[in-house]
Amino acid sequence: MHIVLIDDDSTSIFLMRLLLQRENFAETITTFQSATEALRFLEHAVPEQRPQVILLDLNMPVMSGWDFLDSINGQASELLENCRVYILTSSLAYTDKLRAEENPFVTRLIHKPLDKAELAAIKAEAAG
Amino acid sequence: MQDGNQLVESEQRFRSLFDNNPDCVIFQNKASTILDANPASLRLLNRRKEELLGRPLSDFLPPDKILLFQEKLEEAFTGRKVQFEVEVQFLGTPHPRVLDIVKVPLWVDGRVAGVHMMGRDITDMAISQATVLQQSKKLNTIFESITDAFFLLDKQWRFTSVNSEVERLLGVNRHDLLGRTVWQVFNKEVTQQFYQQYQQAMITGEAVHFETFFEPRQLWVDVKAFPSEEGLSVYFSDVTDKVKAHQELYHQNKDLQQFAYIVSHNFRAPLANMLGLVELLTSLDKHQPQYDELLSHLRISTEQLDSVMRDMNTILTIRDKQEVAMPEQVPLAEVIEQVLQNLQEMLQQCGAEVRLAVPPELRVRGNRAYLYSIFFNLLSNSIKYRAEDRPLLVELSAESSKTEPGIRIEVADNGLGFDVERAGSDVFKLYKRFHSRPDGRGLGLYLVKNHVEAMGGRIEVSSEVNIGTRFIVYLV
Repeated sequence: MHIVLIDDDSTSIFLMRLLLQRENFAETITTFQSATEALRFLEHAVPEQRPQVILLDLNMPVMSGWDFLDSINGQASELLENCRVYILTSSLAYTDKLRAEENPFVTRLIHKPLDKAELAAIKAEAAG
Repeated sequence: MQDGNQLVESEQRFRSLFDNNPDCVIFQNKASTILDANPASLRLLNRRKEELLGRPLSDFLPPDKILLFQEKLEEAFTGRKVQFEVEVQFLGTPHPRVLDIVKVPLWVDGRVAGVHMMGRDITDMAISQATVLQQSKKLNTIFESITDAFFLLDKQWRFTSVNSEVERLLGVNRHDLLGRTVWQVFNKEVTQQFYQQYQQAMITGEAVHFETFFEPRQLWVDVKAFPSEEGLSVYFSDVTDKVKAHQELYHQNKDLQQFAYIVSHNFRAPLANMLGLVELLTSLDKHQPQYDELLSHLRISTEQLDSVMRDMNTILTIRDKQEVAMPEQVPLAEVIEQVLQNLQEMLQQCGAEVRLAVPPELRVRGNRAYLYSIFFNLLSNSIKYRAEDRPLLVELSAESSKTEPGIRIEVADNGLGFDVERAGSDVFKLYKRFHSRPDGRGLGLYLVKNHVEAMGGRIEVSSEVNIGTRFIVYLV
């Protein structure tokens, strides 16, 4: 299992990584503090480097989580084949939830902080 | 024989004219004695002919009119035609009548032999005239007493009636309006704005109702125009307060939405981290290697939460103070010098050069603390977002604006810049950031814009990625 974390907040990344490690969630954890870098990685990744799960933050400078999804939708939707995208946000805004439901790439929106129960659910979904 | 016939015919013709005349005709001599009276005059005086003949007219007049008739008769005997209007109730008649009287002298052999008095009963006409006068007075009272401004335009767009509320609201005198067209009274910008609506009313024959801004007086007006046979009646009232209140409400609403967004995101972001960290901390042994790291992240998150609280406080304080901040004439160069001193250490550390072109005598009307904050935030941003591969250069200049009254200030750097098109209207918004570097919170430019606008100015930005950023501030 390969999981990619995209979040500009270092504490948030630290927290997610620690939890993932404790739960033995994945063999590979790749983290990006900017969506631009994450997009570049995905574009250059060979198929076996592609993740099965992406946890995506929304509110990031330069390229937001929504911008990231739009870029992929526009140019390289095959990058997200066999990959589940979860939006992981501290936002409680209802509009974000609605928008997440409408986006074909997004499995679901999760409110921070991430916890064991959510991880278990994601794992089950990823397994298929 | 022929001549005789003509004479007889002429006499008969005169007789017929005399007898059938609908106006009353009375022939008097110098002593005022009635020598002849036609049927119409008998009806008017309510007498038989033999009652009148040989008696002076004064016998049938009320005492207060005797002198008047006597004077007019004497005047006519001097050889002049006399005309006058009088209201008189002849003795023995039930009602007073209004008469238009002409006394015409009859010349015989070079002297006045008698006077024909012809009286036309204009009582009914006088009554209707009085009614018209009264009606128009009443209408005028209504025009003046309605709280709306009101004017009438004829089909040629000329003002035919204007009430005093129009004079008050538009700051005009009705004598400058009446008889003139709207084009003569108002300039093109104003008439164009109203013309379309009025034109529509005139063409369709249907009333129009609209709200618009009357530039010359800085008024919002609510206008109703009703077309009629004569032209157009226009009512309008001053709704500036109402419109302003609406706008205020709209802004307050926007602010509230922004506040809700901040609460839902910027408060919650560090808080969510804290929740997650605490959860892990409680399940982790103190001696495990990640324990200290968890604690230090918890400290960071707590501090982040604190700075959001402080930001809120700063923003709310500015908002409260905005109305009481007394403007003063602030020497610009002095404020900038102060800012540079406080940023000296940071500027030196990154080897920055600041080029100043601010005339020492230049002053702006505003608030010193705001000006300080504007320059502090702009310069801090230049430092924060400098390009790593070249020393920072900031050019700061100020001068009296060439294009408009006031002062133009320019702050330009050679830093990282940002994608202006992409940032769009978000540049000056709260908690919006345009660099992946984590050092900004997205408060600085929000404050700068607020300060500039609170002092009645405006700010523009241009930027190019990896070339630099230029802010232009206009102040009064």
